[in-house]
Amino acid sequence: MDSPLSLDTLFHIGPVPITAPVLVSWAIIIALGLFSILSTRHLSLLPGKTQTVLELFVSTIDAQVRDTVNRDPAPYRPLIGTIFLFVLIANCSALVPGIEPPTAHLETDAALALVVFAATIAYGVSGRGLKGYLATFAEPSWVMIPLNLVEQITRTFSLVVRLFGNVMSGVFVVGIVLSLAGLFVPIPLMALDLLTGAVQAYIFAVLATVFIGAAAGEAPGETPPSQEEKSP
Amino acid sequence: MPMTIDWWTLGLQTINVLILIWILARFLFRPVTKIIADRQAAAHAALDEAQQVRDAARAARDEANAEAAEISRTRAALLEKAQDEATQAREKLLATVRIEAERARADTRAELEQMRGTAKTALAEDAAALAADIAARLMGRLPDTARVDGFVDGLAKAVADLPEATRTGIGTGDPVRLRAARALTDDEQLRLEALLIDALGHPINLEIETDAALIAGLELDAPHAIIRNHFRADLDRIIAEVTSHA
Repeated sequence: MDSPLSLDTLFHIGPVPITAPVLVSWAIIIALGLFSILSTRHLSLLPGKTQTVLELFVSTIDAQVRDTVNRDPAPYRPLIGTIFLFVLIANCSALVPGIEPPTAHLETDAALALVVFAATIAYGVSGRGLKGYLATFAEPSWVMIPLNLVEQITRTFSLVVRLFGNVMSGVFVVGIVLSLAGLFVPIPLMALDLLTGAVQAYIFAVLATVFIGAAAGEAPGETPPSQEEKSP
Repeated sequence: MPMTIDWWTLGLQTINVLILIWILARFLFRPVTKIIADRQAAAHAALDEAQQVRDAARAARDEANAEAAEISRTRAALLEKAQDEATQAREKLLATVRIEAERARADTRAELEQMRGTAKTALAEDAAALAADIAARLMGRLPDTARVDGFVDGLAKAVADLPEATRTGIGTGDPVRLRAARALTDDEQLRLEALLIDALGHPINLEIETDAALIAGLELDAPHAIIRNHFRADLDRIIAEVTSHA
């Protein structure tokens, strides 16, 4: 088994090396895109089973975002929902033999955290204005500016490390146990990885929501929610 | 084992995430949120319609209550009007009955009065007949001369007591009709004519008739005066007075 800390290039598209996480991500994108197109072709006011699941998923995302951000969840729904779905499916892709989860590699987690970081800035500027967003770094005092700047980097870095560490460790442990014990021994560990993957997807999405909500600030005329960053 | 970052993979994964966000936003979240919003709108429309129906039902109930109240008021008014009309009709009927009763009582009273008058008249006639009969019987026991002689002077005095104008008109033209209880003798006629000439102051031509109904006495029947001096007239006067005092 190859080390999860290293990436092997599968092929090149021009000068661009295509690695396994990219290829798996493309497969996930294609699968999710086809599923979305096919499952939303015949939506009706009287939903079927698939539509009910989709509506429940969207409603849950909306409720979670609304409770966290205390704003209309519509602007945040695509980003948070996509991150949750992608991380969840990517974590679960380890069930397919021969496939490593893209999130078990640092680049995928870093890309996700980078998107969250950019979204935090974008929603912060959009919600508070550039001056208002920059002013948040001086809260509660200008003395805190360096710490707040460092916090922006560290919490993004913590997103990367948390997801990468949990998923990579699971894959690593399963690989070690598989190499030492046999074919069916790692199955309980794989089941545990499924749970860990779902929890990590939820944590990643919730933390992204918290970061974005904190950056966007309070909605006009609404009371701020009491939220704290949660760590596993 | 060294840990390195594959920047190409990092960039491609970032692009992949952005593409996936767009795809899911376009083909998953937007349709699903739209159908949820449509369902909520349909539910709101149904609720609004139900509210409208409920409002309409309340309005209809209020209208029905108002109509019932109006009907009740109309019924009460009609009852009151009917009672008033019944009272008026009863009073009118009572008044009519009273009038009819009064009229019937008056008719009965008039009829009684008429019957009483008739009876009185009959009684007077009977009394007159009885008196005439008694007088006739009594006169039958007197000398026949008494039926005239005793009345000649009275007739002459009554003529003399007439007003001058009346006395002047008596006997100046046609003969004066004189009724007597029996036929006068020549002496009696001469004596009567002499007394009348004295009373009138001018001659008079008598046309003497006999009328036994007078019982006794004379009656001078001039064009402008009738001088009665006989029992029949006295009896009639007495009966009339008795009847009027009865």
